Amino acid sequence: MAITDSTATATSTATATYNPSTDWHALNAMLNLYDEQGRIQFDKDKAAERAYVTGHVAEHSIVFPTTAQRLDYLIRNHYYDGKVFAQYSPAFLDSLYAHVESSGFEFSTFLGAFKFYSSYALKTFDGKRYLEDFPQRAAAVALELAAGDENMALAIADEIIAGRFQPATPTFLNLGKAQRGEAVSCFLVRIEDNMESISRAINAALQLSKRGGGVALLLSNLRELGAPIKHIEHQSSGVVPIMKLLEDSFSYANQLGARQGAGAVYLNAHHPDIMRFLDTKRENADEKIRIKTLALGVVVPDITFELAKAKKPMALFSPYDVERVYGKPFADISVSERYDEMVADNRIHKTYIDARQFFMTLAELQFESGYPYIMFEDTVNRANPIAGRVTMSNLCSEILQVQEPSTYNEDLSYAHIGRDVSCNLGSLNIAKAMDAIKGLGATVETAVRALTSVADHTSMDCVPSIRRGNEEGHAIGLGQMNLHGFLAREAIHYGSEEALDFTDMYFMTVAFHAYRTSHALAVERGRAFAGFRASDYAKPAGQGNYFDKYTDGRRSLEPRTDKVRQLFAERGIHIPTVADWQALRDAIMQDGIYNQNLQAVPPTGSISYINHATSSIHPIASKIEIRKEGKIGRVYYPAAYMTNDNLDYYEDAYTIGWKKIIDTYAEATQHVDQGLSLTLFFPDTATTRDLNKAQIYAWRKGIKTLYYIRIRQQALEGTEVQGCVSCAL
Amino acid sequence: MAPISIPRKPLKLIDRVSAINWNRLEDDKDLEVWDRLTGNFWLPEKVPVSNDIPVWQTMSEAEHTLTMRVFTGLTLLDTIQGTVGAVSLIPDALTPHEEAVYTNIAFMESVHAKSYSSIFSTLCSSAEIDQAFAWSEENEYLQKKAQIVLDYYEGDNPLKRKVASTLLESFLFYSGFYLPMYFSAHAKLTNTADVIRLIIRDEAVHGYYIGYKYQRGLEQASEATRAEMQDYTYDLLNELYDNEVDYTDSLYSSVGLTEDVEHFLRYNGNKALMNLGYPALFPAEICNVNPAILAALSPNADENHDFFSGSGSSYVMGKAQETEDDDWDF
Repeated sequence: MAITDSTATATSTATATYNPSTDWHALNAMLNLYDEQGRIQFDKDKAAERAYVTGHVAEHSIVFPTTAQRLDYLIRNHYYDGKVFAQYSPAFLDSLYAHVESSGFEFSTFLGAFKFYSSYALKTFDGKRYLEDFPQRAAAVALELAAGDENMALAIADEIIAGRFQPATPTFLNLGKAQRGEAVSCFLVRIEDNMESISRAINAALQLSKRGGGVALLLSNLRELGAPIKHIEHQSSGVVPIMKLLEDSFSYANQLGARQGAGAVYLNAHHPDIMRFLDTKRENADEKIRIKTLALGVVVPDITFELAKAKKPMALFSPYDVERVYGKPFADISVSERYDEMVADNRIHKTYIDARQFFMTLAELQFESGYPYIMFEDTVNRANPIAGRVTMSNLCSEILQVQEPSTYNEDLSYAHIGRDVSCNLGSLNIAKAMDAIKGLGATVETAVRALTSVADHTSMDCVPSIRRGNEEGHAIGLGQMNLHGFLAREAIHYGSEEALDFTDMYFMTVAFHAYRTSHALAVERGRAFAGFRASDYAKPAGQGNYFDKYTDGRRSLEPRTDKVRQLFAERGIHIPTVADWQALRDAIMQDGIYNQNLQAVPPTGSISYINHATSSIHPIASKIEIRKEGKIGRVYYPAAYMTNDNLDYYEDAYTIGWKKIIDTYAEATQHVDQGLSLTLFFPDTATTRDLNKAQIYAWRKGIKTLYYIRIRQQALEGTEVQGCVSCAL
Repeated sequence: MAPISIPRKPLKLIDRVSAINWNRLEDDKDLEVWDRLTGNFWLPEKVPVSNDIPVWQTMSEAEHTLTMRVFTGLTLLDTIQGTVGAVSLIPDALTPHEEAVYTNIAFMESVHAKSYSSIFSTLCSSAEIDQAFAWSEENEYLQKKAQIVLDYYEGDNPLKRKVASTLLESFLFYSGFYLPMYFSAHAKLTNTADVIRLIIRDEAVHGYYIGYKYQRGLEQASEATRAEMQDYTYDLLNELYDNEVDYTDSLYSSVGLTEDVEHFLRYNGNKALMNLGYPALFPAEICNVNPAILAALSPNADENHDFFSGSGSSYVMGKAQETEDDDWDF
């Protein structure tokens, strides 16, 4: 076997003598320092990328003379999964690899390259040499997703390499490899109020962290601190000790060190432990109750806002009593609907807190820690097209799906397998998808088919309720990124009338093609998702059908501005009309759709760096972003399409302010069946009242969930570092 | 060499106490800095340093030793500053609010000293920690710099005390801060670097504030005193710098970073002088800091960190403000 082995050992960076001209970290850092003319040094970042890829990476890569030899070596040495490649002929593999390797792919930024090679590329087992570049990773992913379909493999590889479609990290990281975790991004698991369910939940946290992405668990059903156990009062310890158990479980398990386990827990605002739950994130919390890495989310119903408006106290209801009175778990009760009834019912034990004080505490905690996320429970359930109830969200607050409780036998086996959630994510780069030569519709179709393939080939046997949810629903989450980059490139200010108009039209067009593809899949497979007949998609037109909003004339489906009309027209992208929607609706009513859920807009951290997109659909955090995370350290990253001449269009999120961000998300939300990760940005001069105002506004605008609150603090005048790009406002 | 002893002479505290009225400010800077310092309050427990354990285990023996030595050196300086330095400034305060700020500074210095212990106990064994502390007691340059600063704290000149304090806050710490910043730029010990960046965020304000107060004090001094103080400041910086170069070499020569750290020392020496209101001592050409370190140094809390692997260094204590009825008008 001829292997070009160009290196002896990998040198440790700290022991090498410092040399600024080849130190890609130093070159990259110059991006954050202005040159003598006060211009941003974009060329230095590109130089860093070249120094890194042509220097370090090339020196540490194993190169093979032919594709056949490469695949043979990787499969024989248990790097690649032979079954994936056996589905294709050697001739096709040769031509596919020849095609992708000649694509001339280069990373646009140092961070993109650095992140790819440190976190995604296949390496030798000792971690010292690279066995893949970006096109080769894309090809391996495409080959597994296409499951033997040559045209599909080529189409997916092309979409990924062109940067139009980027699968989420678990998919892009794992597929094709022999030693790997699951391709699924995230999981949602209910916990019921019994010890068997709690044990199962901890088991699920361990098992799922070992294999896949983030795990969210619902705490709302658990009895509160001091609730009875076996009718003996003051016995329960409440939700906090369970949070500690979960946090430790997540730190213990990770995917072969590739990704640290990460988890979130959700609690209803009207649960009696709500304040204790929030206090776990306090700066001065006791170590016994302090929660460091577990993410928190609060489920807020409409009634909480009404009570705060009326300056009334809010009742917290004992979930133990509620379950006994109504015969179903607390989370499955709509607190808004039953509020007065439950307040009047003496069988339900209640405590009261001040509703406005609750919102203020929420905001205080967000200042200190960024948490909790918020899910607007009633908004979510009003918009949910699937029969059943959404009681929680996930680690990134964009997955919103119905679940069904499980019951267990004493030996922890399932008496009834309920339904929990797994979700496969991937995002389109809006700018590149708009420019697609084969059209936006074709890109959406390939992406939906690729994501569906992940659902089809996933079977989470370790958590049967998740396996059942996936088998019946084939839910996916198609996301979007690079909105700000696209708008700036087209000389549109984020949050302007034209930007809102574009967001509306783009998301509607994407939704149309996503439903069109899911319908085609249902026809091809001869079946729809299990709950289709009971969903809003199957309801008669005009009687609560999901597509009524596009067909009943309540809104115009045309662009409001000339600029947006032109953006679509000059690219030949057809915006669906009422007639298009009617035809699609009728076809769907007849055949169904294959995917229970189709869209969800994730925050796109890592993948937007590789892809060189601005994250998700929110504004940039900074012109030159300082990115810090465990595997890569501190690295500087320029916003997509930014030059020294168009800086005006790159206002950062702190300057743009929360209102325009919420308005943008509100436009997109109407066309997305699940949720969108919405981060809000505040300067440290803001107060809890400003945060509360933003939350009230978001709730009124029909936003479904709020993700992190990020706070930016500027250095005290006189202590700043001179000539630093990210320091200047 | 015996470890430095902390002076046991009773500090002369103020003669007369009047109740502090924050509504009558003599110097607005006091409130501005107080607000900043209290808003920046943090405790080391909030940073998941244990996430650095996997990386720590991949690092070489030499890197381990270096890291522990650097942190024991920093612990010593923060101990001095917390127990003696900031406290010794209190009797010289020009306003009651300035006294209050010093008490905050003293407390946070103790938090810093404890942070290093918390990093140690997370990453290293007790035997390793003891060895590193033994090293710090035996390293002549470290002991010498502690002694130089302590002598001025014990002396009776308020202005000189402030100069010594500013040089400590803005200059002497940085030979140690270099290492975690360097590691973090190379994807090592990033959570530890978060702790250090929180410390830098505090020290930047401390050095700035004490330097500012020095300048206010100097305004009331005679022409002769001013000239004397300027000479004194440059002499002290030179003395400390020569010692710092030796100290740096004793730490960093094993990993070949000495020269790079020296650039950084000179850069911070100039910065300390700037805080004291004096022109730079070292020409810019020999203060060429590695851009990765310089860019990492910004005390702005604007990192876009990944929540899943760290807690970041940008969160602050929130300012609570009740909502008004109008806010709920929906």
